[in-house]
Amino acid sequence: MEGLLAGNEDAVRMLYTRYARPIFTLGLRLLGSAEAAEELTQDVFLAAWRKAERFDPSRGRLSTWLMTIAHNLAVDRLRRETGVTHPTLVLVDEVPEVIGVDEEESMIERDTALRALESLSDAEKRLLVRAYFGGLTAREIAETDGIPLGTVKTRLRTALIKVRRANQDKEPM
Amino acid sequence: MNCLQVRDLLPELAVGVLSPEDQRAVEQHLQWCAGCRKEANELGSAAASFAFALAPAAVPTALGEHVVARIRHAAGGPGSRRRIHTAVASIIAAMVAVSGLGWGAVMAGRADRFAERARQATASKELALEQFQKVLAGAGLSSSEVPTGNTHLGQLAPTSGTRFGGGAVLQLVSPTTLDFTIVIVAGLDPNDAGALPYRVTLHNAASEVLRAGVITALDNNGGADVFHQFNLDLTGFTTVEVSNARGEMVLRGTVDQSAA
Repeated sequence: MEGLLAGNEDAVRMLYTRYARPIFTLGLRLLGSAEAAEELTQDVFLAAWRKAERFDPSRGRLSTWLMTIAHNLAVDRLRRETGVTHPTLVLVDEVPEVIGVDEEESMIERDTALRALESLSDAEKRLLVRAYFGGLTAREIAETDGIPLGTVKTRLRTALIKVRRANQDKEPM
Repeated sequence: MNCLQVRDLLPELAVGVLSPEDQRAVEQHLQWCAGCRKEANELGSAAASFAFALAPAAVPTALGEHVVARIRHAAGGPGSRRRIHTAVASIIAAMVAVSGLGWGAVMAGRADRFAERARQATASKELALEQFQKVLAGAGLSSSEVPTGNTHLGQLAPTSGTRFGGGAVLQLVSPTTLDFTIVIVAGLDPNDAGALPYRVTLHNAASEVLRAGVITALDNNGGADVFHQFNLDLTGFTTVEVSNARGEMVLRGTVDQSAA
C-alpha cells in the first residue's frame, strides 16, 4: 500500500495482478458489459490510489476494501444510468481459466467465499443476490414480497453475519 | 442519528443500497463511533466476500496497461494530491505570515523558510488568497468554487500539560468541493520517540470527532504537516486537537469559521 500511495507502478501492477479479475468480474455482472466493466476496473484502481492514505489494515483486509470501492462505484453508476437492465446472476461454480501464481490470493478468497455461501439457505442467498447484485433496497424487497420491512432487514443482517462467521472460520492468511 | 438507528441501517450499507442521504448520515456517525464502525466493517467484509464468489470472467489483456497509465497520469498531473499539498502548504505559510497570527515565534526553525516563501509569494493577505485560489484552480477546481470566504484559519497552542510547540490550521469549508484541513505543527520534541504517532482530530460542539490525519515523523525542528480531505461537511468542526501516542493532548486550537 505504501507503494501505491507513492504512485509506484510496480505496486499498482502487483495489486492489479491480484485483484483485477474479481473487480472486473463484479463490474461485468453488475453493469452488464465488458466496456463498462473495464471502465469500472480503471476507476477502482484510481480511487484506491487516491484513497490509499485512508486504508487502515486494522479495520479490514485490502481485498474487502477494494471490493467495497468497486461495488460502491458500480452501484453509483447504475443509479446514474437509469433504465440499465440488471443481468441475471447465477452463482454457479464454473471452471476458472488457468491462473497465474499472483492470482492465487483472489482464488483463495473465492474458495473462502463459496464455502461461506454454503452456510446460507437458498432464501438467504436469493435475498443477498437481490440486494447486493440487484441493488434492491430492503423496502423494495419487502414491498415486492409482501413482508414487513423489519423482517427483510433482520434476514439481511442474519445472512451477512452467517457469511462473516463462516469467513472467520476459513479466513485466508 | 444514534447508534440504534445506525445499526438498523448497517446491513443495507454493507450491500450498498442505502440512499445517498442515509449513507452520508451513517458514515458521519461511523467516523467517531468505534462500536458501530466495528459492526459496519464486519458486515461490509461479509458482503464483499459475496463478490468473490462470482465465477471469474476473462480480463481483457490491455486493461492492466490502461490502469497503470491512468494512475501515472493522475500522479503526474496538475491534480495530484501531493502537488496540491506542497503548493497549498506554501500558500498557507504566506497567508499566515501576513495575517498577524504571531506565526514566527510559534514556528521556530520553520519561520525563516516560511517567511522567505511569504516574501516571494505575496506582500498582502489579499494576494495570498488570490494565489491560494490559483493553486486550487490548477488542481482542477474552479476558483469560483473556492471563494475566499470559505477558507478559515486558526492557531494551535500548547495545552497546560505541555510547555512547547505550536501550529496553525487552515480549513476549506465549501458547499461545492471536498472540504479539507491542513494542520502545520512545529516545536514538538523530535527526540521523544514514544510520542509518535501524533493524531490530529477535529471536534464539534456535539462532541463528534473526525480524524484529520496522523503525524508519523517530525523534522529536526519538531515540525510536520498534515493534509486531509473529507467527504463530509466540516461546518462546526472548529476545535483542532493534536494528541501523542500516549493519548496526551499536546496542542489545541480553534478555527474561526465565521471569518476568512
